[in-house]
Amino acid sequence: MSRTTRITSPAIHKVTRRRFLQTVVGAGAASLVLGFRPEVLGALSTDDEPNHVFSPSVYIEIPEIGNVRLIAHRQEMGQGVRTALPMLLAEELEVRLEDVVIVQAVGDRRYGNQTTDGSASVRLNWDNLRKAGATAREMLARAAAQRWGVEESSLRIEAGVVYDTGSNRKASYGELASDASKLDVPREPKLKPPSEWTILGKDQKLVDAPDIVTGKATYGADIEMPGLLNASLERPPTVAGKLVSFDASRAKEVPGVRHVFAIDPQPTAMRTLGGVAVVADNTWAALEGRAKLEIEWDRGGASEDSDATREVLQKLVDGSGKAIRSEGDFAAAKATAAKVHEAHFHGPYLVHAPMEPPVATVLVRDGKAEVWAPTQDPLTARLLVARTLGMKPDDVTVNVTLLGGAFGRKAKPDFILEAAKIAQKLEGTPVKLQWTREDEVRYGYYRAQYCQKVEACLDETGTLTGWRHHTAFPTIASTFTPGAVAPAPFELGQGFTNMPYRIPNVALEASGFASDLRIGWLRSVCNTFHAHAVNCTLDELAELADKDPVAYRLELLGEPRKVEFSERDRPHGLDTGRLTRVIEAAAVLSEWGKKLLNGVGHGFASHFSFLTYVAMAVQASVENGKVKVHRVDCALDCGAIVNPDTVRAQIEGAVVFGLSFALYGELTVKDGVVRQGNFDDYPVLQIEEMPDVRVELIRSNLPPSGVGEPGVPPVAPALTAALCRATGKRYRDLPLAKQVG
Amino acid sequence: MSITLTVNGIEHSLDVDERMPLLWALRDVLGLTGTKFGCGIARCGACTVHVDGVARRSCMIRIGSVTGKSVTTIEGLSDTGQHPLQKAWLDHNAPQCGYCQAGQIMSAAALLADNTNPSDADIDSTLRNSICRCGTYLRIRAAIKAAANEMRRGR
Repeated sequence: MSRTTRITSPAIHKVTRRRFLQTVVGAGAASLVLGFRPEVLGALSTDDEPNHVFSPSVYIEIPEIGNVRLIAHRQEMGQGVRTALPMLLAEELEVRLEDVVIVQAVGDRRYGNQTTDGSASVRLNWDNLRKAGATAREMLARAAAQRWGVEESSLRIEAGVVYDTGSNRKASYGELASDASKLDVPREPKLKPPSEWTILGKDQKLVDAPDIVTGKATYGADIEMPGLLNASLERPPTVAGKLVSFDASRAKEVPGVRHVFAIDPQPTAMRTLGGVAVVADNTWAALEGRAKLEIEWDRGGASEDSDATREVLQKLVDGSGKAIRSEGDFAAAKATAAKVHEAHFHGPYLVHAPMEPPVATVLVRDGKAEVWAPTQDPLTARLLVARTLGMKPDDVTVNVTLLGGAFGRKAKPDFILEAAKIAQKLEGTPVKLQWTREDEVRYGYYRAQYCQKVEACLDETGTLTGWRHHTAFPTIASTFTPGAVAPAPFELGQGFTNMPYRIPNVALEASGFASDLRIGWLRSVCNTFHAHAVNCTLDELAELADKDPVAYRLELLGEPRKVEFSERDRPHGLDTGRLTRVIEAAAVLSEWGKKLLNGVGHGFASHFSFLTYVAMAVQASVENGKVKVHRVDCALDCGAIVNPDTVRAQIEGAVVFGLSFALYGELTVKDGVVRQGNFDDYPVLQIEEMPDVRVELIRSNLPPSGVGEPGVPPVAPALTAALCRATGKRYRDLPLAKQVG
Repeated sequence: MSITLTVNGIEHSLDVDERMPLLWALRDVLGLTGTKFGCGIARCGACTVHVDGVARRSCMIRIGSVTGKSVTTIEGLSDTGQHPLQKAWLDHNAPQCGYCQAGQIMSAAALLADNTNPSDADIDSTLRNSICRCGTYLRIRAAIKAAANEMRRGR
């Protein structure tokens, strides 16, 4: 599996766009490209814009006529990236945010890593987009200074216009673009200090919001084109299942059904499924036809059962696993302990359930393929579509629509590969494959079912002397490498290996489990279950010690120190001082320690993930057998803040996402088949259950870190702690609602 | 069989199976893609439209049952996005992914057409089973109240 991150080098090179000059110029004015890597630049010469374009990087184009264009090479799925990326550019380029036109990039290696996951889009582009903007600004200013024969220091730049303060002269960036393109590229463009920011760090509205509220925004499902046919796919009941035979005669009787045929599975392409496709004039006819298929499946021997899995996972953590981190001598600490506190934590499989189920449109024609899809990862989609269709990646174009939610689901291109297989049989006809909600729930790449065991050793004074944590779950690696069982370092680095508390004797162990299901990353990934176990254990230990859970955490963190336990902590390391600070801030914000109304419990949790520090307090009670969450207070340190309103929105969303699975999220498996299918049996949080949410953002000039995911992991353990306090009972399993009633 | 209905003020005659859900007729036949598919069982609200002014889940309504009726979709809520709810939605920066938002706005618009002073309970019961997985509920509630204020002031 590959999740490595390619960060584009900040070195900027100058290249003439030869083909551009040949096809467009004639006038002789040079157009210039500043790219980040030499190998990237060749591809740029395909540009055939109608006017000269000064292109300070592969992500930016400044035409002589028209607005500055930003090529957005990350995908919008509600996290605000199509607003954040132009903010980075506009701040340094000195243009108004509303004057930047955003062009969504197709999948192309010249843009570097386009995978939109890991809460990484802003932090990986923080330097290069700002530097590209500053480089362009300096070159445009120098062009103006030379044109007017003045010092650059006498120039003033505002909203994409350069003014000579000593005269009435002014020139727009477009007017200067051609001259600027002939200048040398500054090696170290000067970035603005945060004190001079006018766009960054200020609330900005989402650029796509006006289209969203009028119904004009284009999601994957909204692709329309002449001659398009709609498809639905009946897949095998199990991942290992195979088609034996099918009878399409009744399906073909449905008016509007055009084609019924089988497509093969692709086990080595992220375990993409096959099945029987029904292709029709409209979606409803395709669904009707699909319902009338008669199919015999070979189930492929799948036997997984949720209850049995629970027992297997618990047996695993009760034994010994692979040692991941070891400090001191846990066995000796346990042997001499006055008390050993032991707890098991269980959680079920979860599915993403983005509001837009997977959907993709593919047109295969003349040995090439064009894709329109809501994908988090257009480069992988391009590569695998090419492999699926026996083409070269260059013959596949992947156009990215808005994503109607994703949460990690749309990082897997299986739905695109299915559509490609169907479209291949109908060459020349665009085919849109629409998944139903039931398809999405039953054919997911699930957040793993897990068991966590923590043993905590206490000496006669009640001091925590030893910590053994054993995590067991099916690994995401099995989706990429059939047969992989051992949890991968990138999974363990999520709140497990980097347990930050200062405890003298530590033993961390991990075990894997071979699942019949496809496992994937779901918002916050393994952090959700590691945060669950670590925080709930700390809450229990604080209670045993008769200490306040916030004070107990701060005591265990001790003096600030910077540590690095795993690759997930790079490049900045884990600074326990920053964790302490958010814990203290959340305590103040939540009025921690204040007497609450009768029956309301206050619970606390904190977690470090995606290089961001989060602490959260939840107030909850049980009324008429139903959990009521009253208020959530959250403090977060994500380094420099690009768009504060987006950060607040992401925390509000993280609370909803976390409460949804903490209260209700549960897939059950029988004979290798997921039994749930829709929002009626996989409930999520409703507006009437929405608590008050207060967010405090820690101001910082450190490099930005993740925002989309870090708010999720503390929600479930903070709610658990609140309910334990409200009811006087201990809860260790998720989901909570059915236990509390 | 031909089915006649009015959508966003324009009369259409559709040659479709009368059992086809209104949702798919709007999206696949009329090309009005602002109305979204989310669940197909009237449990998520993404497909909400107005039928003769009443908020309905178009995924569970047969096109045959709306013959002669007037349907309004998000594209027809206002000419240029100037409905008080649409403006309030932007003021509160409510959307995240945005996929459910047309349905949320259509449900809220039907509520405000009858009640320009809704309580939290009114909003909650109107938007029950109008799911937002991104979690924009707080902003939706605030935007509805702001739009209601605006509508009261405008009267």
